[in-house]
Amino acid sequence: MTGVIQTIVLGVLLGGVYALAASGLTLVFGVMNIINVAHGAMLILAAYLTFAIWTHTGLDPILAALITTPAMFGLGWLIYQLLIRRIRQAPASTSVLLTFAIALMIEGIIGLIWKGVFRAVTPGYFNDSVKVGSIYLPTARLYACVTAIAILVLLWLLLTRTWAGRAIRASSQNPQGAMLMGVDVASVAALTFAIGVATTGAGGSLISVLYPFFPASHYQWISRLLGIIVLGGMGNLTGAVVGALLMGVAENICAVYISVQWVTAVPYVVIFAVLLLRPRGLLGARTREDVAPA
Amino acid sequence: MRRATPERLAFSALLVACFAWLVAYPLYSHNQYWQNVLFFAFLFAVMASGWNIISGYAGYVSLGQSAFVGLGGYTTGIIATRAHISPWWTIPIAAAVAALVAALLGVVVMRTRGHSFVIITIAFLLILQLVALNWASLTGGSTGTTLPLTSYPREWQNTPFYYVMLGLVLLSVLMTWAIRRTKFGTGLIAIREDEDKAGAVGINTPVYKVLGFAASAVLVGAAGGVYAYYLTFIDPTGMFNILYSVFTVLAVLLGGRATVWGPILGGFLIELLREQTNVHFGASSLNLVIFGALMAAVVLFLPRGILPTAAAWFVGRRTRGVPGVAEGALDLRPGLALAARPEERPAESSILLAADGLVKRFGGLRAVDELSFYVREGTITGLIGPNGSGKTTAFNLIDGMMRADAGEVRFEGRRIDRLPPWERAHLGLGRTFQITRLFRQMTVLENVVAPLRSFSLAQLAAGAVAGHEVERAQELLDFVGMSRFAHAAAGTLSFGQQKLVELAQVLMLDPKVILLDEPAGGINPTLIERLVEKIRELNAMGRTFVIVEHNMPLVAELCDPVVVLARGKRIAAGSAHEIQRDPLVLDAYLGEGWTVDEAVTA
Repeated sequence: MTGVIQTIVLGVLLGGVYALAASGLTLVFGVMNIINVAHGAMLILAAYLTFAIWTHTGLDPILAALITTPAMFGLGWLIYQLLIRRIRQAPASTSVLLTFAIALMIEGIIGLIWKGVFRAVTPGYFNDSVKVGSIYLPTARLYACVTAIAILVLLWLLLTRTWAGRAIRASSQNPQGAMLMGVDVASVAALTFAIGVATTGAGGSLISVLYPFFPASHYQWISRLLGIIVLGGMGNLTGAVVGALLMGVAENICAVYISVQWVTAVPYVVIFAVLLLRPRGLLGARTREDVAPA
Repeated sequence: MRRATPERLAFSALLVACFAWLVAYPLYSHNQYWQNVLFFAFLFAVMASGWNIISGYAGYVSLGQSAFVGLGGYTTGIIATRAHISPWWTIPIAAAVAALVAALLGVVVMRTRGHSFVIITIAFLLILQLVALNWASLTGGSTGTTLPLTSYPREWQNTPFYYVMLGLVLLSVLMTWAIRRTKFGTGLIAIREDEDKAGAVGINTPVYKVLGFAASAVLVGAAGGVYAYYLTFIDPTGMFNILYSVFTVLAVLLGGRATVWGPILGGFLIELLREQTNVHFGASSLNLVIFGALMAAVVLFLPRGILPTAAAWFVGRRTRGVPGVAEGALDLRPGLALAARPEERPAESSILLAADGLVKRFGGLRAVDELSFYVREGTITGLIGPNGSGKTTAFNLIDGMMRADAGEVRFEGRRIDRLPPWERAHLGLGRTFQITRLFRQMTVLENVVAPLRSFSLAQLAAGAVAGHEVERAQELLDFVGMSRFAHAAAGTLSFGQQKLVELAQVLMLDPKVILLDEPAGGINPTLIERLVEKIRELNAMGRTFVIVEHNMPLVAELCDPVVVLARGKRIAAGSAHEIQRDPLVLDAYLGEGWTVDEAVTA
């Protein structure tokens, strides 16, 4: 029994970090109707940045989020202005192809700078753990999860308690309406995209202490994150959190009770199952699709 | 239909010359380096041609095309290492496996579109790669599998592979060309333009899509088999290579989507570029940056591709100074297109179409709530009601765009509420839309020819625009006065013109009952008169109509009986005269301060 609880607790700790990593992806989809396939690559880029900061300055990788987050915000804003802005009216497949191209470029740039080998960030507490009752909590996972939750709360406050947040939510529900109400939908889109990418800053710093990574790891990460937001309902932030916790637990259960080498298959199975059985996901709203946009 | 312009003749001559050179090349040169480059160009051309069928024609963009190379390669590898079978057998088996898996994938992803579909294709490729990696007893796992050498004289070197792959390129071109010329091809394009509408005009979209998937994979599977023999070694990351998917997409975008030769041209360009970067930078991270940047540039700046852009340039040069179709006026000749149905309309004709207790919920809202009404044969039945009363939703339930949560729809006494839209269209149910839904990139004539009155597998191979259909379509365009626009792209027409074309399109189905959703909405009075005239003519020839309309004088003039809806229920039915005096109707629909006589005499 303890084994089961231990497995689930470890999964939930992972899930918290997954939730932060997926939040930006689902936010960008919700507001802009764009799936940023480069989200995983941005996450890995932030992990490498954290690795560089940690090796050069010895700064704690979790604290490095204070640097990587604004850096990724800037990168997101730049990518929006240079590339994404030009395809706002294009069909869904165009944005997927473009962001996939961005992912390739980021993967290539990471490979050029840091070479195609596995890296890992191992601060002093890397192998420590805290014991609560009969349950072990690995210190790194615990810190990462708590930080992720704190940032998610901040993000939630930003979206619900500020004017910018209301503008973002209004734009996600009805862009034309928001535009007519005086919201500058174009700059809201730039802001949203930048915020979405900024979450990969903190997210990348946190995952750098959880998993070793190399340039092509982004395929695994984007699969995992897509699985999460598809499961939770695409564009739904609460759904992403629920999906992330379930994904973390499911991966851990698979690792312990089935086989470690099939863990990477979990997101794919989830994607197939959800899109076939319940395409709107767990918390996605079923909206009328017959009302044609004027 | 397309005339042989000098450009077109030059293009054909160039193609023949290129092909002859490719056939002759290994005969006079033994340069293995260039044979290898050309072999890969062929491989990418085959992959791109296949991708073009499902993604260029049908519009389903996939990032999983290299999965079929992997499937073909592993099928070949697994068989060849276990049994002494000639490649002449293993390659066709590889093709069949790839086609079968693609068709299965098509069945499984039937309901996913847009973003979800692309995600599924990435997942599909990566999960196959993972299976190849983890199922080591079958595939050799991460260390891969070495294939036995094929048993031809060594001095031929790799030339046999060169010719087999060239043959697959030729087959790909022939297949693409054939598909484009048949109903199968126009059906796939209709799916790309508007899948729901395609269903509503009688196209059996699932069968088209599944066959489209199979067609897009079959030759790629064969190519994967040849590729495996060529390499004599297969491993998961090499065979299920996502970068090859990228090359495929790039090749088609670069060459020209939904063209016959674009993917071939693109395949060659991509391989030349890949070879250059390999020579100068090695197969390094820099390649990813270069191809990523190229893909971004193509998506942003060359969305149509080289061949269509070049073709548009030639057409533009040729037609400079010739006025476009937009200036043409409506051709008002009274045309007659349809043979009269044997008409014997008794005083009380039979019930042709009946809705019984229909319910449709959207979340908490009951858009249609226990709605029952019937349509007698030969009538023009009006369906009116305030905005949001459920009229269009009722249409959607009747023609199958949506499925009712409860209730029945009967047509000629037969239940049709479980049938898909195309089967309802085949039975004789036609429908136009409030906001017109033509296939915008097809010409007007192609739009009118697109509807299918039945489904059979043989029909897939029938010519896309056959002679008798063109005649009939021309007649129908004459009938609605739009024949001057037959060769204009439907998307360039005005809204009212599109309404008329959509009517002609529906008539192509030769429907027994025609549902018109706000036929007069947003079009000018002259055009409305013309439309009324046409509806009367068709009605006199035995067609039954159901019309949703807000234009009350038009309803009063044309419709008998009129069914009134409010909040998803029928609140009244009768002649226009009767319902205008019904206090329930006045209260719910017309509102206070409305006098009946104004409405009738307006």
